Amino acid sequence: MNGMDHRRFEELKDAYVLGALPEEERRKFKEYLAAHPERRAEIEELGAVAALLALSPQEHEPSAELRRSVMATVEAEAARPPASRRSPFAWIRESLSARNFALGAAAALLVIGLFSWSMLLRGEVQDLQGRVQSLQGQPQEPQMVELGGAGTEQGARAELVTLQGDRAVLVVENMPPVPEDKTYQIWVIEDDVPKPGGLFKPRGDSVAAVVEHPLGGGDVIAVTVEPEGGSPKPTSKPMLAAEVRT
Amino acid sequence: MTKRGRQYPLLADEDLISLVEEGDAQAFAVLYDRHGRAAYSLAYRMMGERQAAEDLTQEAFLKAWRSAASYRAERASVRTWILSIVHNRGIDLLRSLGSRRRMQDKIEASAPTSQPSEAFAESWGNAQRERVREGLGTLPQEQLKILELSYFSGYTHVEIADLLDLPLGTVKGRMRLGLKKMKEYFGSQDMVMPR
Repeated sequence: MNGMDHRRFEELKDAYVLGALPEEERRKFKEYLAAHPERRAEIEELGAVAALLALSPQEHEPSAELRRSVMATVEAEAARPPASRRSPFAWIRESLSARNFALGAAAALLVIGLFSWSMLLRGEVQDLQGRVQSLQGQPQEPQMVELGGAGTEQGARAELVTLQGDRAVLVVENMPPVPEDKTYQIWVIEDDVPKPGGLFKPRGDSVAAVVEHPLGGGDVIAVTVEPEGGSPKPTSKPMLAAEVRT
Repeated sequence: MTKRGRQYPLLADEDLISLVEEGDAQAFAVLYDRHGRAAYSLAYRMMGERQAAEDLTQEAFLKAWRSAASYRAERASVRTWILSIVHNRGIDLLRSLGSRRRMQDKIEASAPTSQPSEAFAESWGNAQRERVREGLGTLPQEQLKILELSYFSGYTHVEIADLLDLPLGTVKGRMRLGLKKMKEYFGSQDMVMPR
């Protein structure tokens, strides 16, 4: 097990529903809960008690401007085609789970879907489409790996989608902005040797980047902040990282 | 407003969220009007100032709009779901702010907590809110303080132990007792728990 057992679960469940577990303990708790679905009802009930706290604060009236701002975004997004309103991660999962869908086409649609909602990213679509075309090959079961690290602690989400045996797209959401003279750089680390895997900058909520170095099982994918134009070797600690399972 | 739109205020939250899932902005506006104030109040309690609370509220409602398909009626009411989005994101933000709030909370933690008669003197339009506050007012102050530091201020149990200079086991024990008393109180009041 991951250090969590029945006794530890009992000890931590109150802190869990209050949101008071450190990240690592919270992750282990969730893993234990996933492996013991018979405990879920108990946690949901306890969570409902904790949720009553949300009703206790003194009431404050939000400004009319806040409503206008929220509804302006909602109405603008409602006017778009349905696919472009969906989460990029949902789009990936749905596209890739269609068994009768050729993998290459799914990947191309994926990239189109990810980018079509954002005018800011429009210029990159053609370039990425062309690059994804080169990934077209025999369909095989795609794999997704969630990246962890300091970036996720700041609210970012990142998944590596393996499109073909050794090729992949990194999809990142809510990545913290970087200064003008910096960029995010992807690394594929083979046997402790980092190989440059491409650059990207966060624009809007989401960005997708083709990993430009082949990936193998046991490799580590990582993202660091580097000077504009990239570095031959990482010069900062990884913001995101995960081991690739292929 | 369309005929359909005029009927929206009569719809239950669960019906509205189904429409939101289809991209219905009018349905979402009704949900905002029903729960915006509670969400903002929670955000304000967590962030402590207007602009940060508005940013958090906006972020939470846009997440609700974009992820309406992930709502599960069997797990929570729509209100609880929206408030949980506010709470979870608020915790993330508070933890990313880190030490900036720590000093402020140290000062608050060292000061005596308001007596229930003072803290709960305001009148509340919402009966459930009033009962929740009454229920929390029955908790011993040392338990309530720990529940509030974790739920509203984003502190982990380890940080609370450090902040209050208490053994970690004591913090866990007070969390457990506090939640147990809340459950007993609201159970005895036949109060509907948020699903």
